[in-house]
This record gives sequence, structure tokens and C-alpha cells, in this order.
Amino acid sequence: MKVKNLLESKHFQLISDDSGIENEVNGIFSCDLLSHVLGFANEHNILITVLNNINVLGVASLLDLSCVIFSHNIQVNEAIIIKTNELNIPLIRTNLSTSETVITLHKMGVKN
Amino acid sequence: METYAKNYNIERQDIANAGTIASLTKRELKRRGLTREFVKKVTIGIYEAEINVVIHSYGGDANLNVTDDFIEITFTDRGPGIESIDEAMTAGFSTASPLAIENGFGAGMGLPNIKAVSDEMLLTSSKEGTKLYLKFYISSDNYES
Repeated sequence: MKVKNLLESKHFQLISDDSGIENEVNGIFSCDLLSHVLGFANEHNILITVLNNINVLGVASLLDLSCVIFSHNIQVNEAIIIKTNELNIPLIRTNLSTSETVITLHKMGVKN
Repeated sequence: METYAKNYNIERQDIANAGTIASLTKRELKRRGLTREFVKKVTIGIYEAEINVVIHSYGGDANLNVTDDFIEITFTDRGPGIESIDEAMTAGFSTASPLAIENGFGAGMGLPNIKAVSDEMLLTSSKEGTKLYLKFYISSDNYES
């Protein structure tokens, strides 16, 4: 599965440009503490978070995560969106809660 | 391959640029043909150490050497020091500021994560400053075949 397939759901809105939408997706990781993300997330995971700051991108880039989904309709600041377009990490916003996002992704076929 | 030696300045509370050293090191390690798994391990250690200097110290620097056989990096800061290294090494123990916590740090997992990924870790601290030395050995298995 690829990031672009996630965008077929009406719940997920791409807020960065389309660089990186061909990234492979192989699992879900949900956390708002970056050290836990660093310690436990795997390459090509989707990160679900409410953490609206630029360090999320640093961690996503180091780990080669596939994309970041901001749950609870979090408003993401412009500096983050500009930076992510250089890093090829798509940012997606959803009005779903974190748990609803996990369930929705699972139903779409993201199993891990 | 030639030794890659760099010295980086780290500003206190400069959260926006935290992670730059890890990111530049990652690029160099990939250029040298090291495996993704190995690069991940090293960059996690460097990232955590870099964040620690940014969020806990008055500022400092990092000295990096990458050779064919090992990577070593020393982080040196100008204080205020770690009160109890034993407590700081305990998973979940945190003295992070509200600013650090707002930015997703301060889980108390930094030093435990660093210890888990590094082959050698030497940590000394006084009120004048903290020094953290990390070494990662590179074997032939760590290069992409």
C-alpha cells in the first residue's frame, strides 16, 4: 500500500504538496512522545500524532516514516508544511480521533 | 574511505534546529554504504543526545568522527549538569521543562534509548557541564552487500 491509497478515504486530507505520496506504508505507530517514536517506530510506518511541531518531521525523516497523520483536526503551522515538502514526508490531517484513525487505517488494510 | 570529522555548535533551547547533527550524520553514513538498520541505530543515539543538550543545557558542542571501523561522537555542554546520573538513566525519569514537554520531548527515554543503541557510552557530569561519549563499532555486516 502507498500513501496515495490512504487519500482515497474522505477522512484524510493531504495538507502538504504531493511529494512523497508514492511512499510505501507498512504499519501504524501512534504516539505524542518523540523518544518513544524514535525507540519503537519502524521504517515506512504511518505516524499518528497531535504534536504540532517541527521536530515531528526530524524524527519522521530519521526513521524514514511514510507519512504523518495529524488527528483531532490539529491545525499545522505553515513552517512545518514548507519543511515537509523538502523532506518528501506527506502530512495528512483528519477530524477523526487518534483511535478512530487507527481503526479506519486498519479497515483500509494497514495491518501492523 | 577517508575519515569524516566534524564539529557542531549546539545552541540552548534551539528546538527548531535540534536534530540537524543526526540528519547530517545519517546522510554521510548512507553515502558510505552502511545498512539502513545500522544507520537508524546510530542516528537515534545522536538525535537523543543532541536533544538533551538543546533542552537541558546552557549550550555546547558535538565532535564527530566517522571511520571505516567505528563512529565516535562526544557531546560537551556548559552545565548545569545532571544531578543524579543513576536517576537520569532510569527509563521514564524526567526533569524536562514545560517547553521541552510541549515539543514532544521529556519522556525520560533519552539516555536509556542512547544506551540501548550504542556500543560504548561514557557519561560524566558536574555543575560546570556534562560530557557524553558514544561509540558505535562498524563491522563488515553493517555495509550493504
